[in-house]
Amino acid sequence: MRKGFLTVSFVACLAAIAAGQASKPTHYKGLEVTPLSIERTQNVPLLDCPPGSNTQRGNARAGEEFAVVTLAFKVTPAFKETVIKRPVLTDVNGKSYNTSVAIIDPGSLPEYKCSFPFRVPAGTKVVSVAIDTATLDLAALSK
Amino acid sequence: MEIDRRAFIASLGGTAAVGLMDSEAKADALEHWMEDQLDQQAAAQGTPEKFPTVAELEAQIETRNYRRGAGNVFVNTRGNVKKLAPMPKNPTLQDFFRLRFAPANHVLQSATRALKPGMSEDIILACLLHDCAQALMKADHGWWGAQLFEPYIPEKSTFGIRYHQTLRFYADAEAGYEYPDLYYRIFGQDYVPPPHIEATYKMLRNHKWYMEPRLVTVNDLYAFDPNAKVSIEPFEDIIGRHFKTPKEGLGNDNSPSAHMWRTLANPDAPL
Repeated sequence: MRKGFLTVSFVACLAAIAAGQASKPTHYKGLEVTPLSIERTQNVPLLDCPPGSNTQRGNARAGEEFAVVTLAFKVTPAFKETVIKRPVLTDVNGKSYNTSVAIIDPGSLPEYKCSFPFRVPAGTKVVSVAIDTATLDLAALSK
Repeated sequence: MEIDRRAFIASLGGTAAVGLMDSEAKADALEHWMEDQLDQQAAAQGTPEKFPTVAELEAQIETRNYRRGAGNVFVNTRGNVKKLAPMPKNPTLQDFFRLRFAPANHVLQSATRALKPGMSEDIILACLLHDCAQALMKADHGWWGAQLFEPYIPEKSTFGIRYHQTLRFYADAEAGYEYPDLYYRIFGQDYVPPPHIEATYKMLRNHKWYMEPRLVTVNDLYAFDPNAKVSIEPFEDIIGRHFKTPKEGLGNDNSPSAHMWRTLANPDAPL
């Protein structure tokens, strides 16, 4: 009984650690980037990062879906105006996917959230998203 | 539908920009703005939009007294056209932006998006000009635009303008271009590009300048923000460096496209 309880507690702790790691910020060129969520959808608004009010939307084709990764950005004093590459998503098989959303004017707001849609085959399990050399673990958020 | 007057005016570039528009242009802008707002509301409510079919769009042709491909200076979808402000004696590109292409918000947004991450000046110029020919002709506007600007701008910019029309029909995940639902709406959900567009696309995929028109489409896609505040000022230097303004003025210089500029200047000429 006690052994079972310990095992459950240990697994719960591991899950909590994993979840904690997923939302742990990563620093890149003076930006503090934290993964917040992954959602799956067929139709997405196409908004740059930081988001404005662009009215265009994208639609997934049959057999595909959008894995929408939402990241929180915080501009730290170390940030200097620069070009930031678009994020790249990686799935469990190591295949990478691009997003159409670009990070334009990353220093224009002190803090913001951006959603990056990646067109993937339906049901694709994803593991990480990378912005140039900074890799953010998504395993704990992945559905 | 309730109109947020302030947001609408801001979407056109502010009261100064609105002051330069005639009533026809204001009515058109309001119609587009309301359509966009409705789309946003529907999307926010999670209502899946029902896109028309090609056949449904064709069935609408005889319900209009104009053709959809006609240029903006020739058509008022809500009533009579209005008298246009006269062009200066030796008109420049900026004069055409002010008096014929206004509000030009979409192309200014597109060029602004190209400017911020430091894309090449050829691309920025192509983005700035890519849809301007829609004042003259919407159908095949890429080719019309390229022809209009070709005598005055770099070859790569002309290439970008001509072929962005083709690449708008083809998604490119690598380059960050999604097929827009706007095209489901205006061409039909079952639309298949005609053979000349398919052939042009195949040519472009193997062309060394593929990325010129592709980047125009990428910036095009993200330049429909009704709240964006943009102006032509940030592009004055690029226009100065790359647009060969004729001293006689556009339309008076006997270039291969001078007649197109004259038509834009005076679309009320009976012949």
